[in-house]
Amino acid sequence: MLELDIYFKRDDFCLQINTIMDAPITGVLGASGSGKSTMLAIIAGLLKPQQGHILLDGVSLLNTADKVFVPPHERRTGLVFQDGQLLPHLSVRNNLLYGYRNIPPQERRFNIETVVGLLELEPLLERKPGSLSGGEKQRVALGRAVLYSPRLLLLDEPLSALDERLKNQILPFFLRIKSEFKIPMVYVTHSPREIEFLTDRWLSLAKGKLVLQDD
Amino acid sequence: MQVLIGLRHYGADFVRALRINSVTFILFSLLCSFATAGEVKLYAAASLTDALTELGASYQKTHPGVVIKKSFAGSSTLAKQIENGAPADIFISADNDWGNYLLKRGVLAAESYKKLLGNELVLIAPVASDIKVELDPAFNLAASFNGRLCTGDTASVPVGKYAKQSLVSYGWWEAISPRIVGTEDVRTALAFVERAECNVGIVYKTDAYLSKKVKIAAIFPAASHSPVEYPGALTKNAGQDAKAFWDFLQTDDAKAVFTRYGFTLLY
Amino acid sequence: MLTEPEWQALSLSAHVGLWATLVCLLPGIGCGWLLARKQFFAKPAFEALLFMPMVLPPTVPGYLLLVTFGSQGVIGQWLKHNFNIEFVFNWKGAVLASAIIAFPLMVQAVKLSVQMIDRRLEQAASTLGASPLKVWLTVTLPLMLPGILIGLIMVFSRSLGEFGATITFVGNIAGETRTLPLAIYSATHQIGGDAMAIRLIIISLAFAFFALLLSNLLSRRAEKWLGVHRAGT
Repeated sequence: MLELDIYFKRDDFCLQINTIMDAPITGVLGASGSGKSTMLAIIAGLLKPQQGHILLDGVSLLNTADKVFVPPHERRTGLVFQDGQLLPHLSVRNNLLYGYRNIPPQERRFNIETVVGLLELEPLLERKPGSLSGGEKQRVALGRAVLYSPRLLLLDEPLSALDERLKNQILPFFLRIKSEFKIPMVYVTHSPREIEFLTDRWLSLAKGKLVLQDD
Repeated sequence: MQVLIGLRHYGADFVRALRINSVTFILFSLLCSFATAGEVKLYAAASLTDALTELGASYQKTHPGVVIKKSFAGSSTLAKQIENGAPADIFISADNDWGNYLLKRGVLAAESYKKLLGNELVLIAPVASDIKVELDPAFNLAASFNGRLCTGDTASVPVGKYAKQSLVSYGWWEAISPRIVGTEDVRTALAFVERAECNVGIVYKTDAYLSKKVKIAAIFPAASHSPVEYPGALTKNAGQDAKAFWDFLQTDDAKAVFTRYGFTLLY
Repeated sequence: MLTEPEWQALSLSAHVGLWATLVCLLPGIGCGWLLARKQFFAKPAFEALLFMPMVLPPTVPGYLLLVTFGSQGVIGQWLKHNFNIEFVFNWKGAVLASAIIAFPLMVQAVKLSVQMIDRRLEQAASTLGASPLKVWLTVTLPLMLPGILIGLIMVFSRSLGEFGATITFVGNIAGETRTLPLAIYSATHQIGGDAMAIRLIIISLAFAFFALLLSNLLSRRAEKWLGVHRAGT
């Protein structure tokens, strides 16, 4: 469960969110500029809000009043970017294992064979990201984040760079992650269709403010 | 009122006339200066730097409109430059080899070629050094100091060539040659000894006299090397101003300056 | 095929070039990364100072090296006293002269390559549990590699041609400091030395050509290793 109460200001943009996300998949719907990527960056620890606190499963990740700030590499929140952000100098296999190798063996919930099987990455393993298609990159990015055994998976418009056909191909994988890996997700998008298909609960973000909507 | 206006017009005319005349005057004098100003390009061995600078300055005082442009370097460097077309008017070398080199190549005015000065070769050390040198083949020069010996490049620069001859004549060459730093002119070698980068150097007596940071440890006898002679000449393209300066260098006043710096006169 | 002095000059040039490259490697990476990523007090002054050897006539740094690292210099005396290292009149000084003159080239190449790195890749790595040091070692450094390689090549090439600072600081001594440019200089000053000068020039040209060819191949290899699409392109 994620408790989020933050206030973030940069230049003319102001983000203010106070909510609790405890559904298996929480959707966040918003147009570009609404602050959804910023919100995810704050949850992951890549940005620091001026005020606020964040609790994940009872663990304090941020508390500006008590000067608590857990750096991103210690939060165990996986973040899947819009364009994958695969490390270009590593093979697909080593990309997948990048986060996996940063956690102690006893905390590794999944093994590479399972993830590769689920995301159908077998033929791609020895290739380099530069030779992959958009859809393939996103699947690898997803697999990489899962193998990190995150406490929370943050997805920043993971399908927006893909065409309809690919979207339809990959959407089911998220459901698989929910049902088979049981990792809670925060899924950010501007597509109501994806929200409808994937999420149990969803919120709407507009100009930095949250409007709660339920399904 | 009319008078004032009239004066103003006159004033304007006057200023205009003045302006036109000033410009003309400046242009005219520039043209004149090109016509009368002479440039003498003097290429001389580095050891002559101070003597020729002084002579050049005093000549310029008595001959306004003539500029003596001096280029001091190792005689080898200068000879090569002149051979390749450098526009020298006067060349003075620190040894006969380089003088003959240019003479053979026909770039010098042979009638003006003559031996001008002589010098002596000395062994120097930084002023704080306590080295003691005996000019005797039995003396082990190599063992008497640490580090390197600075002199001109022994293959090409006159002072280096003389140095090699002297070292050979005392039987010191074999032991010392790996420790020699050959510079492109004698003043660089002198500077290294002044900085105590080299504990020993071989330069001309006239150079040693000029420096307060080095002392003479020994004077090589003339028999140990070829005579240190400075031949000089006008080049084939030397103009009137160059010839005039060359004549000036033959005067007793000029000779006195050379003598004061420690050179011997051969002319 | 090569005479003794020619071989000496060639191997000395290679030796000095390789050592100068080595000396510039770590400080070059450090400074390049620092200038690309960090802001600090007096950064413009620091950057200006660092790039000075690029705009000064080489005899100036050569002379300054003589004053500070020579046997009467502050640093020179300290090094001699504590480590028995001397620089003047030997190849170590030639290495130092080349390294100082070429250092800005290394820094510039590294700085540019760091500036081109997509920071989101580094962010992605940190969200996958990599500490800042680990991110630097596993993401930043590999992505800097082409820039580092180019920097090293520039240092080596520049040191092949280094003359002014070398001759001012360490003199022109066969077998110790007489690299190819100095050897050519000496040859052109000797009576009858023109033939040797031409041979040395041909050697220099060949050496430079093959060095650049090799570096080009290495650069391409590195780019390929990083993937066809580099971050940001």
